[in-house]
Amino acid sequence: MRFTPATAAVAFAVAPSAAFAVDYLDADQAVKLMFPDADHVESRELTLDAAQLKQLATHGVQARSVRWPVRVVQRGGASLGVVVVDDVVGKFELITYAVGIDVDGAVKQVEILSYRESHGQEIRLPAWRRQFVGKTAASPLHVGDDISSISGATLSCTHVTDGVKRIVAVVHLARREGKLP
Amino acid sequence: MNSLRRARPLLGTLVEIGARGVRASQASIDTAFAAIGEVQSQLSRFDPRSDIGRFNASPRGTRIKVGVHAATVLSAARELHDASSGLFDVSLGSGPCAWQLDATTLIKCHDGVRLDLGGIAKGHAVDLAIEVLRSNGCEAGWVNAGGDLRVFGDAPMPLDLRDEINGGVRRFGVLRDGAFATSHFGEGARSRAVDSPWPVHGHVSVVAPRCLWADALTKVVAISGNARHSLLLRWEASAWLH
Repeated sequence: MRFTPATAAVAFAVAPSAAFAVDYLDADQAVKLMFPDADHVESRELTLDAAQLKQLATHGVQARSVRWPVRVVQRGGASLGVVVVDDVVGKFELITYAVGIDVDGAVKQVEILSYRESHGQEIRLPAWRRQFVGKTAASPLHVGDDISSISGATLSCTHVTDGVKRIVAVVHLARREGKLP
Repeated sequence: MNSLRRARPLLGTLVEIGARGVRASQASIDTAFAAIGEVQSQLSRFDPRSDIGRFNASPRGTRIKVGVHAATVLSAARELHDASSGLFDVSLGSGPCAWQLDATTLIKCHDGVRLDLGGIAKGHAVDLAIEVLRSNGCEAGWVNAGGDLRVFGDAPMPLDLRDEINGGVRRFGVLRDGAFATSHFGEGARSRAVDSPWPVHGHVSVVAPRCLWADALTKVVAISGNARHSLLLRWEASAWLH
């Protein structure tokens, strides 16, 4: 183990400096990663009407947008699931992430596509929380109950959690109404 | 020579894993993420099915068969509790001596005792993911779980300090083949006091060979207010208050 200090300690939070702006994957790569067996990806745009927005709101979900681009992933003409790409904004950061949802409506995988931060990364979060995988619209996604905001870090993960929940609800609604396979 | 870098939301934060080398692959990174997910599902106190969730919900006298992660982390927690004369306490004051670990059996001795491994288990998850990368033949790599991080091989990790008042960053140092953890203490911070108020209001950083100890020792430093605590030496660690 070697740690080479640069300067005397000062009153700031520590962040790995390489992480100010990172592109991990693009959307197509994320689709391939989540559904390696796919042979066809079809892009669709879901448009939510006022009644649908209201319906989501009664389940505690603010849809945030009426238009939702969705990638429908198929193999041999049968649907394997969908992938939705979304952005969330925290205090210091912009996170683009992709959510893969299988045909049963459960979250298959969540991948961060890119992470941008204005000055330094310090995401220290309080809580252990349940994994996204296996969560459906019926199981509430929550970050822990004792969270307080730390350096904007808490916000970013909370927003990803909220975002996943929103996407699961939108896809669930669209499927129920026959707009998605 | 492959070089991959991925991030996923896990452990209540964003976890980034990087891997380099001719054998570094998406599969090795997937396996490392899966190991972290396994730690989370066994140790999360927010999951009623986890070992810790089941313990917390059980009445006095219950004997719970726990997995290897709970056994590893709880035995480290007990060791640090005893070595620090009780400063480090995963029961957060609810009963430091009211739980016992007998190999892989966790025994609840009082109704009121609750365990929270938030101050140590993230470090264990990072160590485990590093071991997965190594055993998969990666030559170098790193795992950063929202500030609890570890790096190995030829992948020096620069660490910067962020000025949260004025913005901007300043180089803090460069880490090679080791672990680094930062905890924030004080008003509004996540890390809760056992004997409030703690002497430290601000950030505590610890560098150590293993992330489990780096993570856990930040709490000992914060509670004691001593960045030169004698226990640091025992785990080859150094600490800073900032």
